[in-house]
Amino acid sequence: MTENKKIIHIFIFICFLFLLLAGYLTYIQLFESTSLSANPYNNRNQQLENDTLRGSIFDRNGKLLAYSKKTGDKQTRIYPFNNLYSQLIGYDSKIYGKSQLEKQYDNYLVNRNIANPLLAIKNAFNSKEKTGNDLYLTIDNKLQTLSRQLIGNRNGAVVAMDPKTGEILAMVSKPDFNPNSSTLEANWQNLAESSSHPFLPRATQGLYNPGSTFKIVISTAAFENGMGTVKMNDKGSVIIDGRQIKNEGGSAYGNIDIGKALSVSSNVYFSQIAVQLGQDRLKEITSRFELGKEIPFNIPLEQSSFGYRNMSKADMASAGIGQGKVLVTPLQMAMITSAIANKGNMMRPMLVNRISTHDGLLDLKNYKSSLLAHVTDSNTAAGIKKIMQEVVDKGTGRNAAIRGISVAGKTGTAENEFTGIQNRKEHSWFIGFAPVEDPQIVVAVILEYNGSSGGSVAAPIARSIISEYLNNR
Amino acid sequence: MLRLLNYKHPVNLLVAVDIIAFGLLCYHNSSKAFDWKTLLAGVIISVLFCITYLIIVKKGMGDEYLFLIVAMLSSLGFIMIYRLDNEAGFRQFIWLLLGISLFFLSYFAFIKIKTWSKFIYFYIGASFLLYILTLVLGTDIGGSKNWIIVGGFRFQPSEIIKVLFILFLACYFKDPDSLRFPLNKPKFLNTRLGRSLFLMAAVYMNVAFLFLQGEWGTVLLFLLVFLAEVYVFDKGKVLMLVNSAAIIICAAAGYFLVYHIKVRFDIWLNPWADISGKGYQIAQSLFAIAAGGFFGTGIGSGRPDLIPAVNTDFIFSAISEEMGIFGGMAVILLFFILAYRGFKIVMKVEDKFNKALALGIAVQIGIQTFIIIGGVTKLVPLTGITLPFISYGGSSLVTSFILLGLLQALSSGKAQRSGGVDKLDRE
Repeated sequence: MTENKKIIHIFIFICFLFLLLAGYLTYIQLFESTSLSANPYNNRNQQLENDTLRGSIFDRNGKLLAYSKKTGDKQTRIYPFNNLYSQLIGYDSKIYGKSQLEKQYDNYLVNRNIANPLLAIKNAFNSKEKTGNDLYLTIDNKLQTLSRQLIGNRNGAVVAMDPKTGEILAMVSKPDFNPNSSTLEANWQNLAESSSHPFLPRATQGLYNPGSTFKIVISTAAFENGMGTVKMNDKGSVIIDGRQIKNEGGSAYGNIDIGKALSVSSNVYFSQIAVQLGQDRLKEITSRFELGKEIPFNIPLEQSSFGYRNMSKADMASAGIGQGKVLVTPLQMAMITSAIANKGNMMRPMLVNRISTHDGLLDLKNYKSSLLAHVTDSNTAAGIKKIMQEVVDKGTGRNAAIRGISVAGKTGTAENEFTGIQNRKEHSWFIGFAPVEDPQIVVAVILEYNGSSGGSVAAPIARSIISEYLNNR
Repeated sequence: MLRLLNYKHPVNLLVAVDIIAFGLLCYHNSSKAFDWKTLLAGVIISVLFCITYLIIVKKGMGDEYLFLIVAMLSSLGFIMIYRLDNEAGFRQFIWLLLGISLFFLSYFAFIKIKTWSKFIYFYIGASFLLYILTLVLGTDIGGSKNWIIVGGFRFQPSEIIKVLFILFLACYFKDPDSLRFPLNKPKFLNTRLGRSLFLMAAVYMNVAFLFLQGEWGTVLLFLLVFLAEVYVFDKGKVLMLVNSAAIIICAAAGYFLVYHIKVRFDIWLNPWADISGKGYQIAQSLFAIAAGGFFGTGIGSGRPDLIPAVNTDFIFSAISEEMGIFGGMAVILLFFILAYRGFKIVMKVEDKFNKALALGIAVQIGIQTFIIIGGVTKLVPLTGITLPFISYGGSSLVTSFILLGLLQALSSGKAQRSGGVDKLDRE
């Protein structure tokens, strides 16, 4: 019957329309929902933030570092330690948005889109006030406070971490700012325009030449390639490929081995070792120490780099003493040190220990420490450890020595854009760990444009932090 | 009694859904004290649906699934409306009672009264009278001047006209060649061309009035139902081609000449350009659907209140937010099964008038669902129209139940209209 045939045509058309609806609905959910949820005009975000009491942030011992208070309809974020965590926790401002942990963990803090079936059930049965989730950091508030005090009014950064777990114990960048909304909003213009860039978290986003601290990376390659016993006659300076490399103050150390060379921080020795290693081995060892790699971290981390393609001998010589196109963040330097301290194993750096619901009944995340990279074998690491201990025992790092505790370290003085233009503008570095037999803490310190040697200004800071941490645990 | 409790019995599925949904609703509303009103509404609705279903089965009223599907849709709609606005939910409950009564009324009236196919001029006349009334007495609610308020009681005439329009089309296509006009002048009126022109004039008069009221969705719906009827029942191809071409040309002209149509299209193409203004509604709807995810936020846990007109045009977005894409998909599938049952009836019915009427109803349900769900998901340009059986609003709900009553009667096989055609000829 032709009529019924035509009716079937119409029905097929209707089927097609319904199929289109179902398909399109699935398409929205699969491919567009993420951008729709994040759309700034989506009031759901604003509403959720207003309705939900934002989660608090604690240090490793449960010390309250950030919390929100509700007065009527308005919520204020309070940072009881003011500037102390501005470069780490960041800020949460209605006008200027969020930064650092406040931004990265926003979804957890306001309990948005958290895929956890237990949490979903819990929320469904909770008709009382909505609360976000709390962050528990790996930071030790006492150590953080001390670190900031030690830097004082100088600019720079301090990173302290546990080499065995990768937990960040303290991370301070200076200059900093007061993240409490009212102060922040009043000072915003000044802060944003300031030539000292207080919004730059130096520990994670500042890139510096590592200077002589980089010699432990070169030493690692030397040990691995059987060059640990090479002796050289250090006459205070050497000309490589037409470029003169001088020791600090032009001192000549005579016939020295690698231990002595590290201890006195001989540029003559390490620039020549780097040339002997050659560009392939230099690139390979820096890559193993994770330079030029994306490292997962809880807050944005600038990539450290070994910025060479084809290296001349002069390039190799510069790289050997941590100058030229070798750029690292203070955190990267702490990680390199922790790999040596931890038998050649670099742990993944971590800042957040766990995330739990505000009432503490349910842990949403419990981060475990994990291996980031196996950098070198334990024998090599032990060898480097030993010569680093000599640096503190009788070399340039004597200011880091602590009575009763064996400390290993390396100083550094890094050239920068002012070198050759203005005197006494170098960055001062110190990296170190203790106790040497069983390393518990790694510290990396940098003081920007300080002009003093790392041994004289940076090492004492590391010393105080290590001593505080090991003696008051 | 035991047989009734069997889980394989489809009505029990409906009851289970109602129990779960109203239970959740009780919990959602009862932050202070236990909410007896919600529970009572849930019990009454479930019992009412069960009784209606039992009557349909026991009395042999034809397709027993039609009402079950609609009951499920109405339950979902009622739950959503009640959750959004308790008072609106209560009114919807009253409308639902009236709708079910009218379902039975239209069922029995259609079977008892054998002369439905003879009132072609009445259907046109009543439609036009309602249009004129709307134009004269109409009140502007929500942007369209398509409401009539009589003594505090307001209704949307265009909803009732949906029924009249389908009845008119069925009357015409019952046997177009034997249609005689009361007037004999001019002569060409009673030729084939004359009759076609009469049909088109009647349809486009409807369209013109709806156009004046700004009911773009209903315009689209009427035109598509009309085309479907022409496609199936018109023997030639000319009428179909002429009308399709005319509609496409008018749509194109409308885009360039009518500001409102252009705006709808532009919003559809890029709602983000004017997100705080004209694109606001559709953006909010999409945000809601995205917020729901696959399983939804749960009844009472989402923020569908942020969507404008959420009770009526955008109820599907609210369902998607709180019951998830799976909830939305369930609604789409229920409408699909409803359309499928409708088409089955269309195929089975022998009588021409009944067949055309059933086709009109089935196509209307399918197309209306597509227009509004496609609209709120930005698949097609958004035109304000209700989602049958789900959206808040008495006129829409009552009309949908009247159409359902007719479909039910058609499925029962008790509505044979023997010799109706000849009788009309002699008049």
